[in-house]
Amino acid sequence: MWQLGTALDEEVRLARMWATAEPFPHLVLDDLVRAESLADLLAVVEEEPIHDYRGDIFSFEASAPEPRTTELRELRESFAASLSPRLARITGKPLRRADLRAYAYRAGHYLLPHSDHQEGVGRSVAFAYYLPSPEPPTGGELELFDVVLAAGEVTATTSARLIEPRANRLCVFDVSDVSLHQVREVLSGLRPSLSGWFYP
Amino acid sequence: MSTRDEWAASPMPAVVVLSAIGAELAAAVRGRLENVGYTRYALLDRASYEHAPAAGETELLEILRALASEITARALVVAEARALRLGPGDYLLVRHDRVHEDRPLELLLDLSPAPVPDAEVHYRHRGQVYFGVPSQPGSLAIVERGPTVMSNHTYVSKLHAGASVVRLVVLLRVAVA
Repeated sequence: MWQLGTALDEEVRLARMWATAEPFPHLVLDDLVRAESLADLLAVVEEEPIHDYRGDIFSFEASAPEPRTTELRELRESFAASLSPRLARITGKPLRRADLRAYAYRAGHYLLPHSDHQEGVGRSVAFAYYLPSPEPPTGGELELFDVVLAAGEVTATTSARLIEPRANRLCVFDVSDVSLHQVREVLSGLRPSLSGWFYP
Repeated sequence: MSTRDEWAASPMPAVVVLSAIGAELAAAVRGRLENVGYTRYALLDRASYEHAPAAGETELLEILRALASEITARALVVAEARALRLGPGDYLLVRHDRVHEDRPLELLLDLSPAPVPDAEVHYRHRGQVYFGVPSQPGSLAIVERGPTVMSNHTYVSKLHAGASVVRLVVLLRVAVA
């Protein structure tokens, strides 16, 4: 189902990039899957029901935490099976399974700064895979922050990198106390993605 | 039902008084707060906004205190007062709020020059929103805080260019005889 291109082939180089990335380990991989397989991915996502989700840090549309359709469950399992071994070698972290939900950010949707890290949950590496959009968005960038910690408390936050949500781009990043990031508000268009976490 | 009856009937006391102050007074207060000076808070994992001390607004605070005493039938004193100003992209998350172990009253006076869509304050009981304060310039919300009540100021959308949300936040405690 995930017909990968060559984006993950140079593992030694990617491992070096991961380890030295600022403000915390991350990779941006373009052309993740072969162009001819994108239509199959989109067909699966379009069959999955999505709902409004709102909280104090987010407003977006997304599929349920557990996929409703067999096809999206299979897509998730296939994603984990295809990428976990390679990303484990690149990141040096044991990765086996993955959560995956479909997201649709429209104008006015956002995800405010947070770290993803929750004690005991086991999230190891986060990912966002951007799907082709019928109306490419303005805004909706993934923003990474540089964080200063003192005695376990955040004492400063500074914007460090903006990653555009380009179609067929996979962004992976480390999950830790300092992996502060946000999805900037979408100002127009549609930002479709598959996102989640890899676990040991 | 009167505002006082509404307050007394609620298990989680919270009311909004519409048109508590006029646009002219709100503009004058905004001007004085601007002169006092705002400071930006920007630990972005918690909040993004500007704040200014408001203890100098003694006349207005006394009016609000007296109104809250009347509605809640409690003898109250002002414990804290500050103004918050949010522009497009600003917010205050629940994790930026603090727990009140006693049961003080929180007043929110909307001093904004104009309504801002979806710019609300949400009061939550054990995480669930039970009282939302919409953007209504001139309105006064009175909410009883407590150990299980937290609040957040919702994100102000960048789609509303030039939006300015100004809220006077006052904490009142029962007067000690």
